[in-house]
Amino acid sequence: MSLEVAIEKNVPGFRLAVEFVADGAPLGLLGPSGSGKTMTLRAIAGLERPDRGRIVLHGRVLFDSERRIDVPARARRIGLLFQNYALFPHLTVAENIAFGLRGLPDAAKNRRVAEQIAAAHLDGLAERYPATLSGGEQQRVALARALAIEPAALLLDEPFSALDTHLRSALERQLRETLASYGGSTLFVSHNLEEAYRVCEKLVVLAQGSVAAQGAKEEIFRHPPTLEVARVTGCKNFSRARRLPDGCVEALDWGCTLRVAQQFTMPIEHIAIRANHIRVHPARNSTEEKRENAFPCLLAAMAETPFRVTLDLRIGALPASPADFHLQAEVYKQEWESFRDLPQPWAVELAADRLFLLPD
Amino acid sequence: MNWQAITLSLKLAVCVAGILLAAGLPIAYWVTFSRWRWKFLVEAVVALPLVLPPTVLGYYILVGLGPRHFAGRVWESLFGHTLPFTFGGLLVASVLYSLPFAVQPISAGFEGVDRRLIEASWTLGASRLATFFRVILPLSAAGAVTGIVLSFAHTIGEFGVVLMVGGNIPGVTRTVSIDIYDQVQAANYDVANRTALVLLVFSFLVLTAIYATNRRALSIWRRP
Repeated sequence: MSLEVAIEKNVPGFRLAVEFVADGAPLGLLGPSGSGKTMTLRAIAGLERPDRGRIVLHGRVLFDSERRIDVPARARRIGLLFQNYALFPHLTVAENIAFGLRGLPDAAKNRRVAEQIAAAHLDGLAERYPATLSGGEQQRVALARALAIEPAALLLDEPFSALDTHLRSALERQLRETLASYGGSTLFVSHNLEEAYRVCEKLVVLAQGSVAAQGAKEEIFRHPPTLEVARVTGCKNFSRARRLPDGCVEALDWGCTLRVAQQFTMPIEHIAIRANHIRVHPARNSTEEKRENAFPCLLAAMAETPFRVTLDLRIGALPASPADFHLQAEVYKQEWESFRDLPQPWAVELAADRLFLLPD
Repeated sequence: MNWQAITLSLKLAVCVAGILLAAGLPIAYWVTFSRWRWKFLVEAVVALPLVLPPTVLGYYILVGLGPRHFAGRVWESLFGHTLPFTFGGLLVASVLYSLPFAVQPISAGFEGVDRRLIEASWTLGASRLATFFRVILPLSAAGAVTGIVLSFAHTIGEFGVVLMVGGNIPGVTRTVSIDIYDQVQAANYDVANRTALVLLVFSFLVLTAIYATNRRALSIWRRP
């Protein structure tokens, strides 16, 4: 069970050149908008013709520019879930799901539709038209319609982006269950890191039309190989960096010297840390032993969400403006309330095992 | 009132609408979805009757289908007579003259169909033909109905081309519009008035009926 993709395509102002393999586990395609995620999916589905390359699904060649093979979309047996679901507005839910089952005898077709309706929790909606359904119901119909043809691969293009936040987590849970029982290869396109992380085991990070990183999700998040990947995976704090003779690293933009745990043999350009890995404490009195990688800091600006607070901090001196800060830290409200009224400077701590080094 | 002329006009309009339904759908499909770089040439040719005076079109059809030209000679050798001044000639001329009135609304209807629905149909295994009948046509029915109604109405009201190509032969090529013209020429205002009124009421009723059902039929699945 595998989907091998190695394709190139040039369009004015953009070049796509990607190569990756998806096996049984859901593979996440992560990247900012315009990075080529959707174009990749469309090429696999046969809706876009690559200039060069190969697409092989479970040993069946769908596209091969050298051998001049280009299986048309209708014969690829690939389920594609469109971003806006693309339900047929003139057909009922049952008719939408049955759309791809043309060749089957009526009894088998009805059974397949009934199975999909039950599996997608769409009971009682079979005769409704898509316009009368909620966004979440529409998404489930679209998924049921794609799965009804028993596709060899399932491609999901930002399946949650058109939904309200409160619907997402329930639908995401349902999708994870569906994917767990689905036998083919799954590609899950998203620009939402947390979503991709929860749904997929492996990730491919796309940036400007090429693969910037691929592998197990934990590894990509812990040690992003490049600055771009660190950014795409949500890292907010970067500083130019220089290695010191004693093994420490000098963070030039932050104006501090840091001890790091990561073994890193390549030359370094940047050092980085995720906002939620930064700890902020009230200042210690001077007699207490100084903590490692902890520096006095002052607050430049802050932003609150219901449970977390984002603090823009400047190391060492008073910020000249709200935009004058070095680090963005994300802390729980509870924690924040414990030191918000205490006098500044506070102490910002960049744990050695949370810092990571980047070669570019 | 000249019922013969009224029947003839109706017969002509029904035939034209039927032929344009059959020919307009594939032409509109091609015009909408083709990526051929010279497509605009075909689009311009199809739209020509919109701007040409009917006499110009009528003149070329008359000459082109007459016995001195190739097309006319081929027709004559096949059917034993030439097209001008026959019902068949009238039909050919009317179809050409109403072509843009059918093709343009149908094509606009096709263009209004969300591209992703067409692609979804392909990924679900439907061929291009199946996609046309199961997705594109049902979702652009309004455009097709408009196109057919317009070509029907346009044919009923046609005057110049009919006069050029058909002449004025009672029961063969004398349509309502020409009959009214004749009556007015002969100062039979009463007769002209009654025929004109029948034509007016009939056209209005047909158009209202079709537009009304059209709207109702489409509102079920229109998105809120």
